[in-house]
Amino acid sequence: MNITQIVEAVLFASDAPLKAEEIARADGSLDEDIVEEAIRALQAQYGESERSFQVVELAEGFQILTRAEFAPYLERFDTVPRPSRLSGPALETLAIIAYRQPIGRIEVEYVRGVACGGVIRTLQDRALVDVVARGEGIGRPLLYGTTQRFLNHFGFRVINDLPRVEELPVVLREGTPLGAEEEAVATAEPDHG
Amino acid sequence: MVHPSVDLTRAGSTLLAGDNFLVVEIDRFQGPLDLLLHLVRHQDVDILQIPIARITDQFLAAIKLIRSDQLEGAGEFLEMAATLIQIKAQMLLPRQEGEEDQDPRAELVHRLLEYEQIREISNRLKTAEAERARRFAKGWVPSRPRPEISDTPLETTWEDVWEVALQVELPDPADRRHTLPVRYVSMEDKELLIVDALAEKARVEFSRLLCGFEDKAHAVMTLLAGLELSRRRELFLRQVTPFSELWLYRRREDDDMPLAEDREPALEKPEIPRGTRRRPPWMPPEEEEPEDPLAVPDVNSDVPNDGTMSPETT
Repeated sequence: MNITQIVEAVLFASDAPLKAEEIARADGSLDEDIVEEAIRALQAQYGESERSFQVVELAEGFQILTRAEFAPYLERFDTVPRPSRLSGPALETLAIIAYRQPIGRIEVEYVRGVACGGVIRTLQDRALVDVVARGEGIGRPLLYGTTQRFLNHFGFRVINDLPRVEELPVVLREGTPLGAEEEAVATAEPDHG
Repeated sequence: MVHPSVDLTRAGSTLLAGDNFLVVEIDRFQGPLDLLLHLVRHQDVDILQIPIARITDQFLAAIKLIRSDQLEGAGEFLEMAATLIQIKAQMLLPRQEGEEDQDPRAELVHRLLEYEQIREISNRLKTAEAERARRFAKGWVPSRPRPEISDTPLETTWEDVWEVALQVELPDPADRRHTLPVRYVSMEDKELLIVDALAEKARVEFSRLLCGFEDKAHAVMTLLAGLELSRRRELFLRQVTPFSELWLYRRREDDDMPLAEDREPALEKPEIPRGTRRRPPWMPPEEEEPEDPLAVPDVNSDVPNDGTMSPETT
């Protein structure tokens, strides 16, 4: 029984991504670096032996997932829940929250130009976003941010895995005015209402 | 980062001929920014130099298509229309020196570009989502319970049963022969062997009784004989740990039954080579002979040392 096998056993038994530090708790001889080394060894092993699954870095942790090319076979089981895709408005709202978090509802609505309360609630119900802080403005508005589940749902390791703004074909103003603008909009809101 | 030198005189001067793109279903749009972006992007105009007059007219024409039963989202469109008209009005006013960078369209352009970028990001997220959905973690294919046997449809018909029934041959009741294997090792022999051995010594190892017999049947019968004698209170058995040596002890206190003296000697007394403990091949090897718990100093003595032996009969 070696360290790689211990790490493998823990990963195998888990149905959610595990952080390296969490895996390290399995044995006193493990620490984060050793775990990550073991995971690299496993990844190489699985690759060489052409396993149908891989150790995937996901949502700030690691998880054993099947390789994408086996999807057609797995989808054949009627017990597999059909993955539900997010609607256009939900995706837009999520994109705004992901890039501008922490962000309040008013600011999201300003970017999208439409009311977003219902969409945000749906995203919250699906645990893709959550309230992460309260703003400084009047009424101390709720500020939203993305969750671990968001990372898992889209297959990102960390939030910085999101496509970088510079890589996008569309030019955008910098994100800096967020704070100031937030204040302005939040303060101005009661007048409109 | 709006273009600082916007030529206001050209605003609205580059009208396009066809207005077909205006035949839009308002439902298709997720809000005023979406509609505005559509108008801008489908006319090949520079987003930094939006012909505000024309776009405003087009926008107003488009939102006239909002039906009265769709008023819920109409407010947002109307607000945008108002903003557009305001910008249009500002553009008509002469601008003062040092205000070149205060294009009235600047804020709207900001919002449009930002919105467009969010749309692009949404598309990327959508792709990422689809790709992620192709990989499965543990537990996505739960095992399905086997259906109850009574719930399974039965394909067999009565005809099938009947057909098989016709082929059944009933056995001839006259022809009933049973074959019984001969027991070639008798328990009586083994009893005599044990009693004989215990006549010489106060105790004997089970394995010693098996010396000279290779067949497993002898071991089985010897054990049965030992149990039988134990049941008749002629000896008792003791084994310290599983798989260790089994010892057979002479039972002393049965005074009225002097051991082996009244009996006939064993018919088939095996040669027991003393000192050489041969073990049948199928017996597990003994790792370490445990110390006999009831060891008596003199094996040949008739008298065990103390009372520990008496009641521990198997």
